[in-house]
Order: sequence, then C-alpha cells, then structure tokens
Amino acid sequence: MHDPHMPFSHTVSGETLFSVRGLSYSYPDNTRALASVNLEIAKGDRLALVGHNGSGKTTLMKHLCGLLMPSHGKVFFQERLLEGENLDDARLKIALLFQDPDDQLFGHTVLDDAAFGPRHQGLTKEAAEAAALGALKQVHLEHMAYKAPHNLSFGQKKRAALAGLLAMKPEVLLLDEPTTNLDPSQEQVFLDLLKSFSGTIVCISHDLIFLYDLCHRAIVMEKGEIHHDYSMKELVSQKSALRGHGLDFSFRMVLPALKSHSNGSEYDKDQTIIKPAGKMVESTLKSHSKALECDKDQTAIQSTVKLHTHECNRTPLLHLKGYSFYYPDGTAALNGIDFKVDKGEKIALVGENGAGKTTLLSSILGLQKGKGEFFFDGMSVTRKSYKKLWQRVGMVFQDCADQLFCPSVDEEITFGLRQLDISLPERVQRMQNVLSMVHLEGFEKRVPLNMSGGERKRLALACVLAMEPEIVILDEPTAGLDPQGEELMLEIIRRLDATLLLVSHDMFFVGELTNRTVVMHRGKIVENLTTHEFMKDERLGNLNGLAYAYRRESTHAIQMLQHEHEHSHLHHHLHSHIHRHGDVVHEHFHEHAHEHPHRFVHTHPGEEKSHHHAPRRYHDHQHPDHESETHDHMHD
Amino acid sequence: MHISDGVLPVSVTIGCYVASAGILTWSTRTTRSEDLPRLAVMTAAFFVASMIHVPFGPTSVHLLIPGLAGAILGSSAFLSISLGLLLQSLLFQFGGLTALGANSLMMGIPAVMCGWFFQRFRGENQMRQSITGGIAGAMGCTLAAVGLALLLATGGEDFMGVAKIALAAHIPVIIIEGVVSGFTIGFLARVKPALLNPSFVRSSVGVTRE
Amino acid sequence: MPDLSDSFEGSFFHKWDVRCKIITILCFCFMVASISNFAVALIAISFALLVIVMAQVSLQRVLRRLLAISGFMLMFLLIMPFSVPVLPGDTIIVPNGIQWMGFNMRGLYLAATVASKAVAITMMMEPLFSTAPLPVTLHGLSRLGVPEMVAQMILLSHRYLHVFRHEASRISSGMKVRGFRKRSDLATLQAVANFTGMLFVRSFDRTERVFDAMKARGYKGCFPEPLVLKIYPLDIFISGIGVAMGVLLIAVDKNFFI
Repeated sequence: MHDPHMPFSHTVSGETLFSVRGLSYSYPDNTRALASVNLEIAKGDRLALVGHNGSGKTTLMKHLCGLLMPSHGKVFFQERLLEGENLDDARLKIALLFQDPDDQLFGHTVLDDAAFGPRHQGLTKEAAEAAALGALKQVHLEHMAYKAPHNLSFGQKKRAALAGLLAMKPEVLLLDEPTTNLDPSQEQVFLDLLKSFSGTIVCISHDLIFLYDLCHRAIVMEKGEIHHDYSMKELVSQKSALRGHGLDFSFRMVLPALKSHSNGSEYDKDQTIIKPAGKMVESTLKSHSKALECDKDQTAIQSTVKLHTHECNRTPLLHLKGYSFYYPDGTAALNGIDFKVDKGEKIALVGENGAGKTTLLSSILGLQKGKGEFFFDGMSVTRKSYKKLWQRVGMVFQDCADQLFCPSVDEEITFGLRQLDISLPERVQRMQNVLSMVHLEGFEKRVPLNMSGGERKRLALACVLAMEPEIVILDEPTAGLDPQGEELMLEIIRRLDATLLLVSHDMFFVGELTNRTVVMHRGKIVENLTTHEFMKDERLGNLNGLAYAYRRESTHAIQMLQHEHEHSHLHHHLHSHIHRHGDVVHEHFHEHAHEHPHRFVHTHPGEEKSHHHAPRRYHDHQHPDHESETHDHMHD
Repeated sequence: MHISDGVLPVSVTIGCYVASAGILTWSTRTTRSEDLPRLAVMTAAFFVASMIHVPFGPTSVHLLIPGLAGAILGSSAFLSISLGLLLQSLLFQFGGLTALGANSLMMGIPAVMCGWFFQRFRGENQMRQSITGGIAGAMGCTLAAVGLALLLATGGEDFMGVAKIALAAHIPVIIIEGVVSGFTIGFLARVKPALLNPSFVRSSVGVTRE
Repeated sequence: MPDLSDSFEGSFFHKWDVRCKIITILCFCFMVASISNFAVALIAISFALLVIVMAQVSLQRVLRRLLAISGFMLMFLLIMPFSVPVLPGDTIIVPNGIQWMGFNMRGLYLAATVASKAVAITMMMEPLFSTAPLPVTLHGLSRLGVPEMVAQMILLSHRYLHVFRHEASRISSGMKVRGFRKRSDLATLQAVANFTGMLFVRSFDRTERVFDAMKARGYKGCFPEPLVLKIYPLDIFISGIGVAMGVLLIAVDKNFFI
C-alpha cells in the first residue's frame, strides 16, 4: 500500500515561510524535472529533501531561491510571490550553500567574499566587513580572513562559504549536499554550526545519518514529485518506502548491529556472518587460507593479533620503509612512513583530510617521489621503474570527473590498455569483461559526461580494472552516491579479487571491505591493526580528530527505530476511498482512526521494555476490507 | 608568443591601444551584459588551456588557442583574450603593459575571425565540425603569427629579418594547434554541442536563459 | 587593508595613491619605450633598479619576470646581428671569411637597446603591481576610466585560474595514472584535445554555478564599490618626480642623438 499519491500533509505549525503551489518545471530540452509540487515550509522547519539522484531535489531547491523560474505554478516566500523585486529582496534573506565551495567563493580574499552578500544588503564597507568577520569567527576561520580562497583546505572552504551566507543573517539556509567530501571531524563541526543556526533549514543529502541529526521533517521526492512528507523519525522507520526511493541505507545497519550484538564473535565468525555474493566468499577465504599457510599458529588469526605482524618468508607486494615526503616549503606531508601491503590484502587507510593519505597514494602511484626505501614485489623501486608503477597500481579517484576525459565509454576504457600496448581483440575482450563486472553492459558508445554520477563512478572503476593492476586503490568510492548506488558499489568491490587499498571516511565500508586498517595522522601512521580491532576500539574516535562516534550513535538510534513486528493498535489514516454518510456516497481524502493488527517497523526503547506507538503515525500496511467498511468522519 | 615591452615604436603601441580599445568596446557590446561574470570565469579556462604544452621533437610548444576561443566565444573572444592578456601582465611575466594593445590585436582579431569562419562553415555533422575547427585553429595561429610579423615589421627595415624568422618559427605551432583544435572541437561536438554555440553573445542561438 | 602580496609593506610605494602610481609608472614606461639610445636605456635600467630597491619588492619575482621575457629577447639578440640590412658605416665582423655570416654590430646594438628597454619596463611591473593588493590596483584602474566591470572580471578570472589549474593538474594525474605520457604523435594530440575539451566543459558548467551563487547572494549586475581612494599632495609630488625622471631620460636620449 505504498501509495505515492497520498497527500500526507505534514501539520505545519506556525508561520508559513515558503509556499509552493502546483510547481512544474521543464528544462529547455523539455525533460520534465518537477511536476505539480505542493509544499509548505514553516518558519523554523528543519526539512530534509531526499530521493534518488535526479529526482528533482536540486531543481526544487533552485526554485526556492529563485534561481529557476517555474514553468507552471507559483512559489511564495513570506506570502509574496518570488519574482521581480520580491525576489531581489528574498535573495538577501535566503542563503544557498552549494555543493562545491569553489563555486561560491568567488571573492579575492575570504573576507571580501564573506562581505559580498552584506554589501548587497546595502551595508557600508565597514559594516559589511564587520558582519563578515563576525561570521568568519562563527565558523572558526577568522585567522584566514585575508587569505585567498585557494589557500584553504576543502573543509575550510566549505566553512568559508557558509560564513559568506551567515554574514547575511539569512532566515533560511538551503543546503545542497553539505557533507560531501568532509571528513568526520569536519562534518561534526559543520553539523554543530548548522544546529546552532536559528532559522529555517532545507537540506539535500543522501546521508540519512547526518539528516537524522539535523532535520525534523523529510520530503521524499521521486521523478519530480513529492511522494512523502514525513517526520524524520517516520522516514527512517519506513523501510519499504525507503527502498522504493533508493534510500534504503538499512544495508548499512545490518552488519554493525550484528557486530555489536554478537558478543565474543571473533574474526572468523564475522567473516561468515556476512553473506557476500559468490566470489567474495572465495576471495576472503582465499586470503584467509593464505594467512593460515604462512602463520602456523592458528590463534594468531584471532583478532587480538595484528595482521601486519604476519612476518613470513613471502615478500610483501608493496613496502615503504622510512618513507618521507616534503613539500617545496619544507613541511612534511609524510614523515617516516613504514607501510607494507601483502598480496591479496584488503587494507583501509583512514585519517583526517590532510593526514597525508593522498600524498602516500601519489607516491605509490609514482606521481610523486619522496625520500626513503620503496620496494615493489621485493624489488627496490628505482627512478626508472618509478615511472612504470602505473602498470601495476591502479586508482579510482575521489572525483571521477578527474579521470574520465574521453568522448565515449569504449575509448575511455581502452585508453589505458593502449598505453599498455594490448592487442585489439584483447582490448575488446577486457572491455566486455569489466563492463559486465560493473554492470554497464551495452554502454560502449555512451558519452561518459552524460552518464549519471553512479554510472560514471563505476566506469572509472572499470577503466582501472581493465588494466588488471596488482593493487587497486579506491579513494572514497561512494562519495556523492545515493544509498542504492552505494549498495551496488559495495557489491562490486566485494567481488574484486585484487589487493585493495581503500581510503574512506565511511566506517561501514571500511568494516565491510577490509581486514586491516591503517590510521594516518599528520603524515604518520599512528595505528596499524585489524579492522575488527579498529571497529571495536571506541578510543579511535578521539585519537586523531576522527569523530566517528556520533555516527555510531545515530546509527544505533536509527536501528532502534527499525525494529519490526506485528502490532494491533488504533491509528490514523489519511486516504481516499468511497464511503457512505447516511445516504450520501462519495469519495474524497479524509483522515480517520481505526484499529487492526499489522506489521511495521518501529522503535523500541529497550529489548524487554514495553514500547509506545504514537497513535498518529503513518506507515504502509494493508487494510483488509477497509475500503468497504462503513464509517463516519467529520466534513468541513 | 607575445610581444614584449620596448620592441615596437611608441606610436605603434599607442595606435594599437586605441584600436584595441575600439574593438574591445564593440566586443563588450555584443556580449550580453549579464553574462560578463561568466565570460570572466571562462577566460580563466582559456588561460589554463594556453598553458598546456605539447611535445614537439626535443622541445615543446604551448597552445595559443585563438581559434578555439573564437569558436566557443564568438565576438566575445576579443574581450576574453584582452582580459587574459591583462591578467597575464599583471600577475605573470609575459607580455608587457605597453605592448598590451598590440598583443590584444594580434591574438584577438584572429580569434574573432576564426570564430566567424567556424560558425559560417561548421555544418551539422561531427566530422565536418571537427575539420572546420581544425582549419579555424590553424588559421587562428597563422593569423596571429602574421600579426606578430607585421607588428615587428613596423619597427622598420631593421626588424624585417626578425619578423620573417618569427613567422617561420610558428609553422610547427600552426600544425599542432590545428590538429589539437580539430580534435577538441570534435570532442565538444560529441560531448557538449551547446558549448559550440557562442553562448555569451547577444542574439545567439545558444541556450535561452531567464 | 592588510597586505595580500607577500612583499614588505612599509615603503612609500605601498602608501602611494594607486591612481597616481599607475599613471606615473605607465607614463614612465612609455617614455622608456621611446628611447632609441642604448646608453640611455641602460640609465633607464638603473632608474628601475633604484625604484625596485626603494619599493622593497621581492627580487625573486623581478627575476622571474625577467626570465620570462628572456626567450623573446634572446631571439632578437641572436637574429638581428645577422638580419639587419647593411648600411654604410656599419661595423661588420666576418668570421673566417664566411660572407653570409657577417655579424653586424649595429644589429647587436639595436637588439641590445630593445632588450634593455624591455628589461627596464619589466622591472617596473613589480613595483607597480605588487605594492598593493590586486583589488586595489584594479580599483585604481577603474577609477582611471577602465570600466569597473573589467576590474571585477579580472578578479573573477584570477580566482578561477587557481581553481582550474588545480582541476587541470588533477585530470593530468588521472591520465598519468593510466599510463599517458606525452610523445610526439597523433595519439598524444588526441589526448591533449580531450583534456582541453574536458577542461572547457567543466569550466563552462562552473560558470553557470558561479553565476547562480552570485545571484543567490544578491548580485544584480554590479559590484559594490570596493574602497574609497584619496589623493594627498604628497602623492602628486611623488608622481611629479616619477614623470620628471622619464622626461629626463627622453631629453638625454634626444640630446645624445643630435
């Protein structure tokens, strides 16, 4: 009974800020982006906009700040039509945070940029700069005020962009994927900043854990329409609706739940609990049995022993010894790194942005050369062989736009193969193989640029895999993907039978895909332990500014909401069906209460305690015979 | 290649300033005023593209880009190129301030001419656009080299030799530039044809905007 | 306004009104460009040196600017001795009797004059541009009749130049990782063309987003006045000295000639 047309109108309390009526929008090429959207946003609302990539979230957001004009319908802000002079006024009260802070930081210095908005609000130069400085202080960037934006790190840029908005003292913040590419500690800082904002927030994100912390209300969009208008808690407990909209992040919930609940389950057991598809089982088993071979003492496999101490006769595939890298200005990006990768290992590389992960990867790829010993497959890497490392190491970049530059998929995939001087028939063969591996069969003639984010990401992976590298490096493979895309990516990576180096802030992926975790901090490796140990170690949350703790808490809170079993209770429904009032038979939407048993996902405060179901809660379930029941209800 | 300060006679540099100011006014008028910030951002992209080096035997040459700038920006190209040159003399090293007018003319006029040529003969299919683009690229470079030679020749008979050699030195650049421009236009025609309609120019057939 | 350029802030060049500075240095440069005498051009270089010392700008950056023009200047110095037409009275050195390789001293003299002028003017660029933050210099230009929009466009270009350079270097690493090495062949040109095309496509898409971001923050076609400039008598006095130095050079140049 997942009826998309149920106009669940969230009870809007207080003053209406935005009122969207019958909004439709088509792009110049006539593709429809929005279709008769109706939406009320109240002052003080914290609204999450969720849905598939391409469901019209960003388009809707652009209408809220008047960057796009409706093809049909109207958008009102504070009861005034968002047009002409009203729009000019409204823009000074509505702030939009872009996904890429470089789009927004167009000023010559951070301060100039932050003062841009206030100047347009009519403030004098002095007053605008004071407002800008105040906002920069708020985001902890006052020391960067006179720097050019390109001198800032990504997280700082993101905050500087926010400061440019806060300086305008906006009533509404519109946020487009605010946490993309932020590391957990920066994300936490950002979340705190947003939470302390007193106005209205509308936020687009795929990160339901983040949204769960920030927002109270969630709008689910699908193909340009609003399908649901839930409270945040309702959203996360609506498993079927989530799945239908590609938002089912519950695949994330399963494993950690098992891990934290299965007390005493050891490394081996964990491996068997995950039921990965086909090849993955083989490959984990394979790497496992290899470990067995070389390590006579079987108990060593137990999680208490660090995997990297598996000193056996076999030479590691990759070995950096006392490796350092200095920037031209003398600061160390890498400082005495000892890093070893055995064949077939799956390693996670974690650490805050700027910890040196990228520099380490560039060294492994042969893009940069530092000081120290570097062995590949037992051979010392010389100046000459450095240049050939690309043949043995492949990497999927965080932003696949940096990697895809050909006009068609087949050229893209064969580009690397040509450099390897591989014959044409084999090129075609390999291309077919990798395309089917990443579920892009039949895409040969497509233009990479016009493909969706998830498809591009998988194509980038295919390009790397086609070259059959000995080490595959994945840098944040799921950044910017919707949960459905993430799940698919996870499945593909699981099946890979290669030595894997995963860089991610996403602890779920780290836990799922790797068996060793290397923690970097300020150019050094500070921890090197099994992923299992890493996941158990609560201390790591604070060790090096990686605040994973809050994510765990939120995950836990959501898990609590996702409990499912049968209940019978009185609840309200809002729906349309034919019914009778005395002799009048008619059909219209109405709300009424009735009671019948059904199953649904809901929250539990604790395992044994009795629990409460809010009587007014919408959820999907069957109403047997309800349509034909006679009942009464109020008519206006 | 840009002309440095002190090479041209002062009368020529001042004359070039006046002429380029005139063309600049025209170029700005043909650009939709609300699109000027976007043109500025695009200028940065052309600037970066002009720093790309292509190996040529033992040495390497860098792209000049007037043909591509013309094809993509149309008559706005003159404005864009002048801005780029001013930026270059402000922050980087080449192309002096006194020779700015001369350099603008030398690069800007070929760009606008190539832009016109490309739009006139581009046709519909990708192959033809690619070939037209290649010709435009080579032509832009040739015209710029001729411009350089002509400007140097204004110094009198003494400078004729330098002018001739400068012209000859551009021949490999012309060939490389033509090929790269052709491929680039072909790429854009396949991937993002909208970019090939000079979209900053008034009354263009490009995307309609609010 | 705190200092943006990494140069020292205390010299009078940094305090000089930016309009006076631009006009003075521009006048001086044009006057240097009109010099036709090698010795006078050398005096111009010494003046420029004096200015650099007084303005306390970074010598390294001056050298970088000089290095950049060195190729073009070298072309003159190498070609002109052989290419200038032989006039009566020219000194010609003929190595080992190879007639066509006659080395004309007048050509060298001409080329050296041109190069010296270029060096003198190039040396003046650093005191002109790095003694004030770029927005101030550009605002000065706009107060001198260059449209304000041009100044703002240059600031925008400058900002995105850095963004695109990073983008370009990332794409180029992406190519290197897949084994791309530049060679002298058609495939290289094809790859370079794809790279260029991709750069344009991404930049073009970004222009839309940047413009949206500007509009969303209240931009309606004009930028706010960045700062207020004020001219003091001292500014004009310094300008007077600057122009006088130029006039002196011209006078010497013409006198020498007659």
